[in-house]
Amino acid sequence: MAINREQRLLSSVSARFGVAALMAAGSFLGLGEQALAGDADTAQVTNQALLKKLDAMEQRIKSLEAQLKRKDAPASAPKASAEIAAGPKPPNAANRTRNASIAVSDAVPATQNPSPAPAKAEQTDKSTPDKPATDKPAADKSATDKPAKPDAVAAKEDKPILGLTASPVPGLSLGAYGEVYFGYMQNPAANGQWQLGSDAARRFVLLPTYAITDNIIFNAEIEFEHAGSGFDNDDKLHGTAEIEQLWVDFKIADQFNWRAPGIDLVPIGYINQHHEPTEFYSVKRPELYNGLIPSTWKVPGSSIYGTISDGVRYQVMLSAAQEDFGDDFGCRTDANTVPQGAGTLPCTQGGPWYFPGIDGINALAFSNPPLGDFRQLSNSLAVSGRLDFMEPASLRGLAWSVSAYYTPNTTPRGAHDDMGIPLGNSSLAMFDAEFRYRVPNTGWEFRGEGVYATFGNPANLRANNDSDPTDNVGKSMYGVSAEAAYHIALGTILHSDWEAVPFYRYTYQNLQTAGFAGTDPNMPTGAGQQQFHNVGVAVFPSPNLVLKATYQKVIDRTAAGAQADSFLGGVGFFF
Amino acid sequence: MTDWIRLTAPAAAVVAVAGPAYAVQYLSVEQAQKLAFPSAHFTEVQAGRVWKASSGGVFVLDHVIGKHLYIDYAVSLEGGRVKRVDILAYRESYGGEVRSPSWLAQFVGKTAASPLKVGGDIRNISGATLSSLHVTEGVKRILAAYGSLR
Repeated sequence: MAINREQRLLSSVSARFGVAALMAAGSFLGLGEQALAGDADTAQVTNQALLKKLDAMEQRIKSLEAQLKRKDAPASAPKASAEIAAGPKPPNAANRTRNASIAVSDAVPATQNPSPAPAKAEQTDKSTPDKPATDKPAADKSATDKPAKPDAVAAKEDKPILGLTASPVPGLSLGAYGEVYFGYMQNPAANGQWQLGSDAARRFVLLPTYAITDNIIFNAEIEFEHAGSGFDNDDKLHGTAEIEQLWVDFKIADQFNWRAPGIDLVPIGYINQHHEPTEFYSVKRPELYNGLIPSTWKVPGSSIYGTISDGVRYQVMLSAAQEDFGDDFGCRTDANTVPQGAGTLPCTQGGPWYFPGIDGINALAFSNPPLGDFRQLSNSLAVSGRLDFMEPASLRGLAWSVSAYYTPNTTPRGAHDDMGIPLGNSSLAMFDAEFRYRVPNTGWEFRGEGVYATFGNPANLRANNDSDPTDNVGKSMYGVSAEAAYHIALGTILHSDWEAVPFYRYTYQNLQTAGFAGTDPNMPTGAGQQQFHNVGVAVFPSPNLVLKATYQKVIDRTAAGAQADSFLGGVGFFF
Repeated sequence: MTDWIRLTAPAAAVVAVAGPAYAVQYLSVEQAQKLAFPSAHFTEVQAGRVWKASSGGVFVLDHVIGKHLYIDYAVSLEGGRVKRVDILAYRESYGGEVRSPSWLAQFVGKTAASPLKVGGDIRNISGATLSSLHVTEGVKRILAAYGSLR
């Protein structure tokens, strides 16, 4: 969805310069006639005449625009009028109303730039009829598919009329993704009772992108979770609104680009960076991304990335480190430490006791560093990196990646056990390898992933020193998953090609391996050893939209069992 | 660890400002034309968009949106069949996989009658879903519009 500049442009023109608008309308009509004439060959004579007329009209519009320009912006007038004289706009202002997808060719981004391909530059000097606009109604579908396009056409006019800086690409555009969950879930807190419920806006994310230039690109994700938050209790909203990504990319060379400091996604695994609901088939995200990889794993950081060779790409990120602090934000002291003292009174009640960020049941789920306000609890940085491979010559349809994360310390300032004795440093290293293989010429798709995390000194982890013997953390954590899916074309329904993807995924993760240390007794419950069976179907009415149904069976090693099975439906979109 | 930032960030900033302005442009129109029809001369039949090759064949320059930004690509046709598809410029941070020669090679030989469906006769690229979809649609559109042009 793009902000429609064309309308704004036209209204501003007509408001400020009625004559120009009239002329523009005239040229619209002119082209309409041309279109009615149909076959370009038989109507050549008429076309010639019309073109002459169009040219004259265009000249007139240009001179009027130039006048307007001089009137509106005396300071920048010399430059602007020089531009208008040097590079008149293409003659087909009317085309865009007829067939955006074809007319868009005239908004070649490079034409706005000082040194584009020469052929593109030439275009601005000619008044050639836009042939396909008249005789090829071919691609109406794609025209409607991509609403950003007409905007691109309008963007071209931004410069001469609105006096903005050159906009080589459509400028601002807005994408979105989101997902809805509903269905039955077992509630472990109610002894596994099956309860019906929904998360009617599990997440809704707006994706503004603004191309400051062709090479400097702003990008953000504004995320609302659980339908957002409300001010009053009776608003019945208990969600969040957060900035999930915010960065500016400097596209320097194919091999080397710089992502300026901002909020970005840690380049681990596949789903963390590609977490739109159309990227996976289960209603909920794959289990390895629920804790072991604390998706959406977003951190304050800066990256470099690029292409090493065909099909091989890299990203390296420097970011704020994970923190072993999982309690209420208000428990952070003004000194940016964890709450101080000895004892087991929870910090939310004024005591010194706080939840760990890393534990044997939720893995790293609560250890993400805060994004704002200089409230991080350590000076430690983390480095992470990812190598992406796609389509090796021997195995078409295969994409895979390896990635790693390392920080020398996850212990927050002032960390202590329940006697008040300080906890020392502990490093965290993580490794991930995953593949996605869509077998060519068949419906089959296979995915697999393995994640391994290791802690430098588990004796210093809060979970092992919080008087809770059930959430202890060993020396390492790991998880593996394997998935098979089959793509079935359902044919054309409602003017769209539908596809059904039944799938099955198995996940095993062990978040409480051996090697406990620390002051807590060693009494794991088995809750950290989990298996997940997911079976379901994802139906794609279009690649931008998915309807999902998933049955999930959860098994752990506790005496009562996980009691967390679910049967969920979901709706996801991404455009 | 912080030295890393201190040393490279200013350098990166300088390179970013001073660097080549069209780094995202992988091929110029001339280069792409030469790749498709190595020894031909070109006549522009539609300004900035369609060229005829002296050796017979058509070269079409077009643009599709990837996720947000333009992908500039060129389709060369010969006898109503795709001879070659090239990505001239790609601007987004994700999804650049569509530049993969092996992926683009799938279009060779396609005609206006080919299904040209991602997940069907064209492989989907995970991580570049929208880009691969839109490039495929673009090629299909060009075949429909210019496939009969000789």
